[in-house]
Amino acid sequence: MRNKILFIIWLLSWPTVSMAQGSNSVMEKAVKKDSTQLRNELSEGLEYSLRFLTFGTYQKIADSSQNPNNDFFQISRYSTALDLRPDLRLNFRRLDLSAKPRMNLEWNVWEDGVRDGDTDWDDDWFVNEWLARIQVTESVFISYGRENLQWGPSSLFSPSNPFFRDNGRSNPKREVPGMDFFRLVWLPKMSWTISFIANVDEGRQGFPYYEFDKTYALKLDFSGQESYASVILSHQESDRNRLGVFGGWTATDALLIYGEGTISRGSNALYPKKTDNPFGATMEEIDDKDTSLKGTILAGGSYTLEIGPTLTIEYVHNGPGYSDGEANAYYRLRQEASDAYYLADPIQGLSKLTLSQTADPKLRLLRRNYIMLQYHQNDIRDVLNLTFRWTHNIDDSSGQFISIVDFFAGDHTQIFFIGGVNSGSGDTEFGTILEHHCMIGVEYTF
Amino acid sequence: MNFKFQVPPAPPSVGTGAVWRAGSSFKFPVLCVILFSVILFHIKPVLAEMTPKEVLSKADEARGNVEGVEWEIKIESVENDRTQKRTLRIKARDFNSLAEFLSPPKVKGRKLLMIDRNMWFIKPGLKKPVPISPRQKLMGGASNGDIASTNYAGDYDATLVSEDTVNGEPCLLFNLVAHTKKVTYDRIRYWISRDRLIGVKAEFFTVSGKMFKSATFEYENSILIHGKPKPFVSKMVITDAVVKGNITTMRYGKVKIKKIPDSTFNLNLLVR
Repeated sequence: MRNKILFIIWLLSWPTVSMAQGSNSVMEKAVKKDSTQLRNELSEGLEYSLRFLTFGTYQKIADSSQNPNNDFFQISRYSTALDLRPDLRLNFRRLDLSAKPRMNLEWNVWEDGVRDGDTDWDDDWFVNEWLARIQVTESVFISYGRENLQWGPSSLFSPSNPFFRDNGRSNPKREVPGMDFFRLVWLPKMSWTISFIANVDEGRQGFPYYEFDKTYALKLDFSGQESYASVILSHQESDRNRLGVFGGWTATDALLIYGEGTISRGSNALYPKKTDNPFGATMEEIDDKDTSLKGTILAGGSYTLEIGPTLTIEYVHNGPGYSDGEANAYYRLRQEASDAYYLADPIQGLSKLTLSQTADPKLRLLRRNYIMLQYHQNDIRDVLNLTFRWTHNIDDSSGQFISIVDFFAGDHTQIFFIGGVNSGSGDTEFGTILEHHCMIGVEYTF
Repeated sequence: MNFKFQVPPAPPSVGTGAVWRAGSSFKFPVLCVILFSVILFHIKPVLAEMTPKEVLSKADEARGNVEGVEWEIKIESVENDRTQKRTLRIKARDFNSLAEFLSPPKVKGRKLLMIDRNMWFIKPGLKKPVPISPRQKLMGGASNGDIASTNYAGDYDATLVSEDTVNGEPCLLFNLVAHTKKVTYDRIRYWISRDRLIGVKAEFFTVSGKMFKSATFEYENSILIHGKPKPFVSKMVITDAVVKGNITTMRYGKVKIKKIPDSTFNLNLLVR
């Protein structure tokens, strides 16, 4: 026992003792070797990058009942921004640390609504994502941090993801704000992964119209020889359980086929319901207690042509989305609320409440049937990336065209253009907020 | 297709290394003959007993199909007089690989994950991994499949066509026909060195039978497999069959045989 204690004391004091014994060359060499090895490990495990972005945006606001005279959303017409985006990572033995601190300077100009003629400077310093992960055993990892957790093969949106609505693909230059997650990942076999995920804080995500609720998920992933599949069982506090799935198949060298979906009993989405209030209706969770299954299914495929481009098609059936009758009632209610927006309280208060509910009725897509077509090609002559995406709402015939163009001027500099044109009247899904918008900028990677 | 192929005749140059000199004893040439016979009788039956699939497996080993390997590839592509360069770090095990783009800065941080036939592309700033097809080109004449370890033995049915020489080296010429539609190339003519059992030249064909590119391989690197040094690919030069000036050169360096854990190929842990 005494020997053990002495050994532990020696072990704890070893670095100090060994430093003090300057004459002991063996010890000195061992310490030197250890510190060199440590330095090498740290320098090998350290990774960093720094990106600098500056860009300007222009947004033409749509004339719609959702945003009367732009006084509800108060969207700026022009903006210019300067972003500094360092990414830091240290992988040291069983520990993995990463951080993405951000600096954002933004200047906005308003030309519509109550803020017409207004300008505003804003600076924002924050950490959009950070992570501390430890490898407990060879196959078990535990992490906590602010993350942007994305998965699934689809381009349009990821119905199987219970945490994030935005998958970041409509504007890759705008980073999706991270939320706080605890994760336990277990790899029982090469082909299988089991994850427990707890979304414990909203982090940098904003929930302007509702309270944030913690969400827990159990995710099972399988990866086969030419296919993969995942099942995600999630539960949101004060809401219900959801089952999400996604999978894909490399059908040939050029053809990918995939699907994604979610299903739940009932829905917490808001639907217009006739009432005796001044607008004749309110937005209510009418399917909250419903026990019938409601689901969203996305089916897609992509084909890469011999000459380079990849063509993608996706179809979405959104079960909880509005039928024609529900959509008519929704737009009627929205118009009533819009008309009352400038009246005195309490009508104005009711108008604002109603418009906040119609702005986010807890549906990722408003209607039931959508189709998306995409053309994508990377590294054309090593200088150009192109993405053109058309999303069509089959039910109300509105649509959205997005183009993402990256041009590389040298090894460090990228000039980018992201443009969007929405078609449809103010009483359609894609015609509700913006008519068109564009973003032009330069990204420099050090 | 599991037949044994005929033992090809020994190359004429073999055995002529020992020169009898006037005045010297007969011991040296005799020893050489004995040594040659030992080598011949030792090697020939081994090669003779190997099926085309086994020969391909050996050749695959020298192109990364081993338990775990990490290497860096410098790709230089000349296409229509434009030169492009990339440096990638590859971690590979069995039929899985992770390619991390190291330079130039404009592509730094990109990752390409291949788990068997499933491939994902990850761009810095875009957290959602994008599934991509094997056909999507990496750069110049190099397909995604070219940077990964080769599994011709598993993906193709091989037939020994004939013997040939490549740069004077005796080779076995195999005709490889894909038995799955999931591979990058439908048919390959593959020259494997008789003595070294490594692929030294390949021609790649489309379904219509048209050759669209060819490649040559060099093996200056060496790795230890079961404690024994084995040659490992050091250079692959891909030449476009239509535009001869379009050439992609891939140089393989910093080869390390190491245990690559499952977590390296796990999407849940990869995206940070």
